Amino acid sequence: MFDYFREYFDFKGLFVCLALVAMGLVSIYSATYDAGAGAIFEKQTVWVIAGVVAMLVAAFFPFKLLQRLAVPIYALTLGALFSVLMIGARISGSKSWFGVGDFGIQPSEFAKVATVLALAAFLSKTTISISNTKHLLGTMLIVVLPMMFILAQPDLGTAIIFFAMVVPVLYWAGASNFVLAAIFAPVIVAAGALFGTTIFLISIVIAGLIIFFAHENRFAAGAVFGLTLAVGLSVQTVYDNLPSYQQKRIATFLNPESDPLGAGYNVIQSKVAIGSGGLTGKGYLQGTQTQLNFIPEQWTDFIYCVPGEEFGFIGGSVVLIAFAVLLFHGIKIASISNNKFGSVGAIGVIGVFAAHIFVNIGMSLGLLPVIGIPLPFLSYGGSALIANMAMVGLLMNFYANRKEH
Amino acid sequence: MFDSPTFGSLTRATILRSVLGLLFLLLLGRLYQLQMLYHTELGKKSEENSVRAVIQEPIRGYMYDRYGTLVVDVGPSYTVTVTPAAFDAANLEKLAALLQMDKKEIADKITKGRAYSRFSPTRIKRDVDFKTLSALEEILYSLPGVDYQVESKRTYTTSMQATHLLGYVKEITDAQLSRSAEVYRPGDVVGSSGLESSYETRLRGEKGFEFFSVNAQGQFLGSYDGGNSNIRSKEGYDLLLHLDASVQTLAESLMANTRGALVALDPNNGGIIAMVSKPDFDPSVFSGVTPLQLWQQLNSDTTKPLFNRATMTRYPPGSTFKMVIAAAALQDGIIDEHYRITCTGAFRFGDRVFKDLHVHGSTNVVESIQRSCNVFYYQLVLKIGLERFAKYSRMFGFGSPTGVDISEETAGLIPDTEHYDRVYGKGKWTQGYLVSLGIGQGEIGVSPLQMASYAAALANGGTLYKPHAVAAIRNKRTKAVEELGHPLKTTGVEPAVMDVLREGMRRVVQEPGGSGGLARIYGIQSAGKTGTAENPHGDDHAWYVGFAPFENPSIAVAVMIENAGFGGSKAAPIAGAVIRTYLRNTKQLPERIAKPAARDTVKQVTQVTEH
Repeated sequence: MFDYFREYFDFKGLFVCLALVAMGLVSIYSATYDAGAGAIFEKQTVWVIAGVVAMLVAAFFPFKLLQRLAVPIYALTLGALFSVLMIGARISGSKSWFGVGDFGIQPSEFAKVATVLALAAFLSKTTISISNTKHLLGTMLIVVLPMMFILAQPDLGTAIIFFAMVVPVLYWAGASNFVLAAIFAPVIVAAGALFGTTIFLISIVIAGLIIFFAHENRFAAGAVFGLTLAVGLSVQTVYDNLPSYQQKRIATFLNPESDPLGAGYNVIQSKVAIGSGGLTGKGYLQGTQTQLNFIPEQWTDFIYCVPGEEFGFIGGSVVLIAFAVLLFHGIKIASISNNKFGSVGAIGVIGVFAAHIFVNIGMSLGLLPVIGIPLPFLSYGGSALIANMAMVGLLMNFYANRKEH
Repeated sequence: MFDSPTFGSLTRATILRSVLGLLFLLLLGRLYQLQMLYHTELGKKSEENSVRAVIQEPIRGYMYDRYGTLVVDVGPSYTVTVTPAAFDAANLEKLAALLQMDKKEIADKITKGRAYSRFSPTRIKRDVDFKTLSALEEILYSLPGVDYQVESKRTYTTSMQATHLLGYVKEITDAQLSRSAEVYRPGDVVGSSGLESSYETRLRGEKGFEFFSVNAQGQFLGSYDGGNSNIRSKEGYDLLLHLDASVQTLAESLMANTRGALVALDPNNGGIIAMVSKPDFDPSVFSGVTPLQLWQQLNSDTTKPLFNRATMTRYPPGSTFKMVIAAAALQDGIIDEHYRITCTGAFRFGDRVFKDLHVHGSTNVVESIQRSCNVFYYQLVLKIGLERFAKYSRMFGFGSPTGVDISEETAGLIPDTEHYDRVYGKGKWTQGYLVSLGIGQGEIGVSPLQMASYAAALANGGTLYKPHAVAAIRNKRTKAVEELGHPLKTTGVEPAVMDVLREGMRRVVQEPGGSGGLARIYGIQSAGKTGTAENPHGDDHAWYVGFAPFENPSIAVAVMIENAGFGGSKAAPIAGAVIRTYLRNTKQLPERIAKPAARDTVKQVTQVTEH
């Protein structure tokens, strides 16, 4: 009996996920301990229960049915993303919420799950080959459609996640080096453009080298390089058209001390919180930065400061290690899966997680600009938690059905 | 496994793992950098963020007189403060109107305070009255960063002033602040003269710090770390003085409306029983806010009320100095006690005639002191010469500071060969310059304190104690008393010589024909010497030095009154009254006459023979 379970039930994924959720609850409790926001902790507890349900549903959902429903679910989500733009509530300048009583629903969080499923379903079809340009563009379209809706909300952070997620999926599905080069080169040049002329020129050289070494035919290489240059040169125009708060975030990322009480405040306080934790931290509920509310809305995007400050390097490392275990476990499921659907799906799931983890923690540690995306399982937020736990459920499902063809 | 050769290949899995692994290592490395390498710096920042230190002012030490009477106390005083970081400059006008201060003055104080700490309150106005305080209370909510704190200020519990002895505390000046910035902050009060100044380090105590947690808005949330990190302020030490408050009060009233000084010492240890310098002022005017106008007025007053005449003046001592010359002549065998001269009422030296007030006839050394015969000393000083004069003057403590524990003091002036050579040129001065030195006139300067110390040495038979006001220092909390040792030295004058001088001084007061009869105290043998010092600035300065009881002296007094005339009539009665009160306080008067009714005996006049 137990052996049967071990064979088909993904204990590892379940436990790591529950451990991370527990760390999240502990952190949220601390972050809202003195702020008169006990309601936040209670709500999150409710969502954990909903998340466990969603996870189990996803884990035990019939495999074949899941493949068949992937596209309808995707279509439904696109509809939701469209309607949230029409009738959604505007919170903090973005139209990304449906209000349901006291609770809000963010369709963009569920769109991540739906997109992963749609990608897996599309790429697992026997007639589809990634080396076929039409099929490649089709794959891209699956990602770009929800991205467009989310960018229109506007929610740059979540849109970036979609982009970051598709890269490992394409790579896993066998995309050639040239395809990856064509995706990365413009990103490198666009990022370089933000740091001034010298870095911009260096980034163009690097992008050129990447394209040169990965190229398959000259025309394609030339076209991609031209596109890369165009992207780089248009960054300034795009930057000028960004909302001013996002411009400020980019500017303060490049130099947080330039505006210590304004846009750079969060980054400085977050670094101070984590740095002051030292090896063992200040003790639970003893973190002065956390308890005295030096980091605004810490329970959402800056939740990583709590383990960092109160449990120190040990606490911060434990969180990182738990995430690493989860991601490596996902790659293992993808590797041992006998079917493409589970394999691509697992990579999609860990692509989403990885993008969130590196962007969020990188931001808390002052390595990346302040992009408003939550840390999976730890940040406060119902939609994200339920969606993330559902994705762990998918991993469990893929694990259980890894021997299917 | 799959049709496409690259789909989910082992290579690709390895590369994905490597990329993720590298990214995790990057985060871990950064975490290590922040938490382990930058920990000290960021930890300090976090503390500065969230912990505010509020200074706890220590209670300044009290002062007690010799009977344990509290004479200098502290009382509550309300100080309005502003925390620079929290203050909104838009409220400057409101605050200025309320405190009746200049806007710029407040702004300056805030700027100065900001330089020390943006987050700790800086004093804006000290000693605010209750009316202003209650008005402030009402609108405090609308003035972020403004607060008030209870501090202590000096209060004086007895009717004496003792201004120059006790000194006063005053708001610290910028110059003092720059010298000791680690101890003081702007607006602190600091001992600025007298004992308050010389014992400042003992009196002031140590500041404490109370730590509070504040949130991101700077609101106080309560004690930080449960108060465990707080540093308690340490109270200042109490000073136990030799002072007799009632003697001081009496001396001040007797010296009222004069310019002069009185010093009373305990001849057995050098303790200061009383010290008066007139004119003076009420030291409590400085305890709260120091009104600038009053300060300027005190500073520019031509009678110099801020000047401590007891320690700082340098006047010729007149005839009170005669015992020094007599001691030199007796000890060095130039005369003996039987040596006599005939006083004809004048002394001719070269083409100058030095006068005496009376014709004293045949006079020995004891009689010369008793009757203050000038001719005796005109002759005697020429016999002993300048070097001996200077040597014996110094043996009695003249010509150098006494080392009293009050900061300001003059060395005085005792001329010697070197001095005359410097002033007049080598060989350009004659013995004639010496003659008036014989009666304590001319180029000689002594302070009343030096004179009191001299009187004390004559009283105790030849020991010079360092005069001092503070007998001991007491820890307010533990009550542990630390006795202060004070050095002493002998004058080097032989007891036999001292006996002669003392007998002369006894006769000054006790015998008919003595010049100090007005200092007489019924029932007690007293001794002394009068002096009337000529000076170019008007009437003579009146001097008296004396001690009592004669056999076992417990008090020595020096009195100097500027431009008052005869020492015997002006200074001696004051000394007598002071001595008498002290002896009554210390139960040394015979009971029969110790009653207050007998007090006016000092006015009974016997024969006055002055000069």
